[in-house]
Amino acid sequence: MKVPLEWLSEYVDLSGLSPQEIADRLTFSGLEVEAVEAVGLRAEGVVVAEVLEVRPHPKADRLQLAVVKAEEGSAPMTVVCGAPNVRPGLKAPLARVGARLADGTLLRPATIRGVTSEGMLCAEDELGLSDDHTGLMELPPDARPGEPLERLLGPADTVLTVEVTPNRPDCLSLVGVARELSLLLERPLRIPEPALPPSSGSATERLGVVLEDPVGCPRYTARLLTGARIAPSPAWLRRRLERAGVRAINNVVDITNYVMLECGQPLHAFDLRRLQGGRIVVRRAREGETLQTLDGIVRRLTPAMLVIADSERPVALAGIMGGEESGIGPDTSEIVLESAHFQPALIRKTSKTLGLTSESSYRFERGSDPEGAEWASRRAAALLVELAGASVTPEFWDLYPSPQPRRRITLRFERARDLLGTDPGADRMIHYFEGLGLRVLARDVHQVEVEAPSWRVDLEREADLIEEAARLYGLDRIPAADPAARLAPGADDRPIRARLEVGRALSALGLMEIMNYSFTSEKLLERVDPTDRDRWARLPNPLSADHAVLRPSLLPQMVETLGRNRSRQCDEAALFEVGRVFFRTADGGWGESERVAIGLMERSGVGALDEESSFRRLKGILESLSCALRMPPLEKGGLRLPAVELEAAEWPWAEPGLGVTVRMGRQAAGRAGVLRTDLRREWRMADPVAVAELEMEALTPHLFRVPAYRPVPVHPSVDRDMAFLVDESVRHADVLRVILEGAPPELRRVRLFDIYRDPALVKAGRKSMAYRLTYQSATKTLTDEEANAYHDRIKAGITRALRAEMRE
Amino acid sequence: MKPADIPALQTQALEELDRAGTPAELEEVRVKYLGRRGLLPAIMEGLGALPPEERPAAGRAANAFKQAFMARLQECRARLEQTEQRAGRRPCDPTLPGLWRGLGSRHPVSQIMAETIRIFDQLGFTIADGPDIETEWHNFDALNTPADHPSRDTQDTFWLTDTLLLRTQTSPVQIRVMESRKPPIRIIAPGRCYRRDRTDATHSANFHQIEGLYVDRKVSLADLKGDLTHFARALMGADVKVRFRPHFFPFTEPSVEYDFSCHVCGGRGCRVCKNSGWIEISGAGMVDPKVFENVGYDPETWTGYAFGMGVERLAMIKFGIDDIRLLYDNDVRFLEQFA
Repeated sequence: MKVPLEWLSEYVDLSGLSPQEIADRLTFSGLEVEAVEAVGLRAEGVVVAEVLEVRPHPKADRLQLAVVKAEEGSAPMTVVCGAPNVRPGLKAPLARVGARLADGTLLRPATIRGVTSEGMLCAEDELGLSDDHTGLMELPPDARPGEPLERLLGPADTVLTVEVTPNRPDCLSLVGVARELSLLLERPLRIPEPALPPSSGSATERLGVVLEDPVGCPRYTARLLTGARIAPSPAWLRRRLERAGVRAINNVVDITNYVMLECGQPLHAFDLRRLQGGRIVVRRAREGETLQTLDGIVRRLTPAMLVIADSERPVALAGIMGGEESGIGPDTSEIVLESAHFQPALIRKTSKTLGLTSESSYRFERGSDPEGAEWASRRAAALLVELAGASVTPEFWDLYPSPQPRRRITLRFERARDLLGTDPGADRMIHYFEGLGLRVLARDVHQVEVEAPSWRVDLEREADLIEEAARLYGLDRIPAADPAARLAPGADDRPIRARLEVGRALSALGLMEIMNYSFTSEKLLERVDPTDRDRWARLPNPLSADHAVLRPSLLPQMVETLGRNRSRQCDEAALFEVGRVFFRTADGGWGESERVAIGLMERSGVGALDEESSFRRLKGILESLSCALRMPPLEKGGLRLPAVELEAAEWPWAEPGLGVTVRMGRQAAGRAGVLRTDLRREWRMADPVAVAELEMEALTPHLFRVPAYRPVPVHPSVDRDMAFLVDESVRHADVLRVILEGAPPELRRVRLFDIYRDPALVKAGRKSMAYRLTYQSATKTLTDEEANAYHDRIKAGITRALRAEMRE
Repeated sequence: MKPADIPALQTQALEELDRAGTPAELEEVRVKYLGRRGLLPAIMEGLGALPPEERPAAGRAANAFKQAFMARLQECRARLEQTEQRAGRRPCDPTLPGLWRGLGSRHPVSQIMAETIRIFDQLGFTIADGPDIETEWHNFDALNTPADHPSRDTQDTFWLTDTLLLRTQTSPVQIRVMESRKPPIRIIAPGRCYRRDRTDATHSANFHQIEGLYVDRKVSLADLKGDLTHFARALMGADVKVRFRPHFFPFTEPSVEYDFSCHVCGGRGCRVCKNSGWIEISGAGMVDPKVFENVGYDPETWTGYAFGMGVERLAMIKFGIDDIRLLYDNDVRFLEQFA
């Protein structure tokens, strides 16, 4: 809410305080001031001048000489001027010698290109009114030459922008803000007491008011004013409205807005002549009824909505916006002035349904003061008499069938002390309450019972009073207790810690963590991984097509991320992401699970890897990860292998033959593979890209496994190598299988250390593979003969089973 | 040769070994003394001709000579070999670049989360979490934010169905934990949240929060202030101060917003804190009695504090990042700065 200080000072004395001091007091008691903005004239000694004549400057093309009248009856002056809009008849601000501009410049006599200028015609920026320097500020044609500009524009002011939290609708008004300051500054609150002139005659013949829905509208008041003359509001009123951010329209509408800003009670004015049957009926809308609101839009109404109707049709959307037809026009003279209290939830619902909000609905849905309706009506009527020449009629329709009781609340001083961790003191707290308009009903040494005023809709319980005490006492006076470690028993957060550990393990393996949005586009999914389309979690109401689906997989964005980095000349990347994916379940529900994605973009140019090597690099990361996550190794014979098992599979995004399912720790964990060539070319990635996606749940079960010690071997091991030629189709897994078939329990380790192909071999469809096998006994030192015997048996098996040719 | 001459011969032999400058010269010396017709075998042969009473001493001297000679020969051989090898090898260049082992890195958001968890770990907080897809009950109703209340407007929500949504805050984890456990409770809950915000330099449609909740007998606002001050100092620096401003949240009362004094300028005012000396962090407060009622806790017995903080915001403040979009752009040149 915008609060002009000049206006605010009508209700509380602000003298001696800088705007920043006022802002700080408000901010630290709960009304956060977001901006302190200077508005209005910042120059001194500037007057209205009329341009009589414009002549070219003798020595400068871009400049002109303006002959201006700066005072009635005095001799015209000549000023040099470069503005494009200078023209005879224009009224513009003139700074004469001795005037001071907004930037502090003191105007002195000046000679510009040989012509003496006796002053300066000003643009808005030079006066501090705005940043506009496109031309001279154009003043109203009826402005009088010589009139000080300050009198025309009003004095400079400061406007505070206050963020009023949803619980404090009473502060959506100047009086509400003033009430806070009155307490904070210990200065009296000055609320005007409007008095209406005596009236005669009766209006009951002309207006009838019926309240059909006292739940939706607990209180409805109306009064009739006659003989109003519609005209612009006086300058002071227009200025206050505009500085408070409300556009001035005409005196009647402006007065309703003025009073709303003043006390927070929204008002509405109808033109009596446009109310059919001279009736006001507060009722629910009927099915099929429509209303053209003041913004020109025709609204379809439902019985869930409350309207103000005449004898035939709705004329206003209660508490939200008036109707186009029944509003105040240039020829209005008889005004029905509404001041009512509506049920907040009902207003909010209607406002939401129609997507229509207004200053009025904003206040009603937060809660207006039911008891303030009468004051607001009287205040507006008095202003209508004063400023629109209206006459009041004696009746005041006040339909308030069940006045809402004021809430009584008890505060226990000990409870306040316990909750705040300090003691503001009982007397001080009671002083605050009284300053806020709460009435003390009873007090003793332990507690105080108070009655909340009708405008404080937020005060319901003891906690609300403690909050009032805390904010007024000052949160900076609440001590900071020494932090103490304390354990809440029974909480086992190891499953969550385990998930956090996975990210740590991956970064320790040299991968860089990325973070993508949970939202993605169907387009990207279609491109990379168009599986399970019917399970995609499409947002019912997305922000944009790029963010239309909750990601079903981390892979598409991983590919996109690699591609985007490639396009930024990044030549190598090893990335991972830990994040949630989303899907629709078979029964139409929504599901989510946590996954881990890995993406490797191989270095291009020198040292580039082929696809197989890229795949092996990825596999190595998975194997290392399985160890980092304490997955028990797979035991094969005497060998202990990382708990990663891959099986060939087809993925839409994977190069045929280089896609696999991944099992880790003996359970299904996810998918991996080398990206299809045509897909990576779409992102101009020239070299291989390998990706994997794993289910978090499969990664963590072993993380807290306690390693069981096995004795470190004491007897030396013996290495034996073998190298052989086999058909290209023979895979490492085949070799391993044959080795294990012939292996003694003493075989500890098998290491493939070379694969060699020369043109002759390639031509023959053969390759050379070289392995180092390590033998070790737990009970004795192996002799050469024993090791050789083991090794020879394995070699024989390979020769036989794999059509291998041993190389010696 | 007389036994008495052996020590002198030994000295001479060792000197000759030391003088040998090449393996060939060394071999010459070896042959001269140890060869089949060398001096040492000759001495050994001559022992038999000595009178019996002189033999033992002479034998000892001869053996000592042999051992000393062998040892020195080994030394000289090793020395010559090394010299030879060095001569044949190209010189090392210790100024060559190191063989860089690629470092991994955590995302700045993860780093702040890990750091926050570590700090609260010390105070005995355990970690809790909840789903991204939440129910209206956990995200709003149980947190005292009913549908017809305007405080819902401050969190523009992605609704999935009439009752399911993408959580707008991590506060629903508070409810989940309290629904499943009895007090005392001491948790922090990091997680991803969603709001229908157009992405710009300071807004992102998804972001991360860390929620804190402490419920026990007689927990006070002073405890909240103390613990947040500890956190601020541990995360941002030992001199950082914490400031509370009154605010409103439906699920806490009293509610506060809290600021850290600027860790860059020490509160004097700079670009980071927009010359105010303070940086707005987030919201906190004492758990509203209605929230306790909603989870079946007796608000007369239990009090508690809760706080939330925006992880991206903390990361941006701590690392001086000026645009939240950088955190989701995943540019390697950006991320590697946090390795």
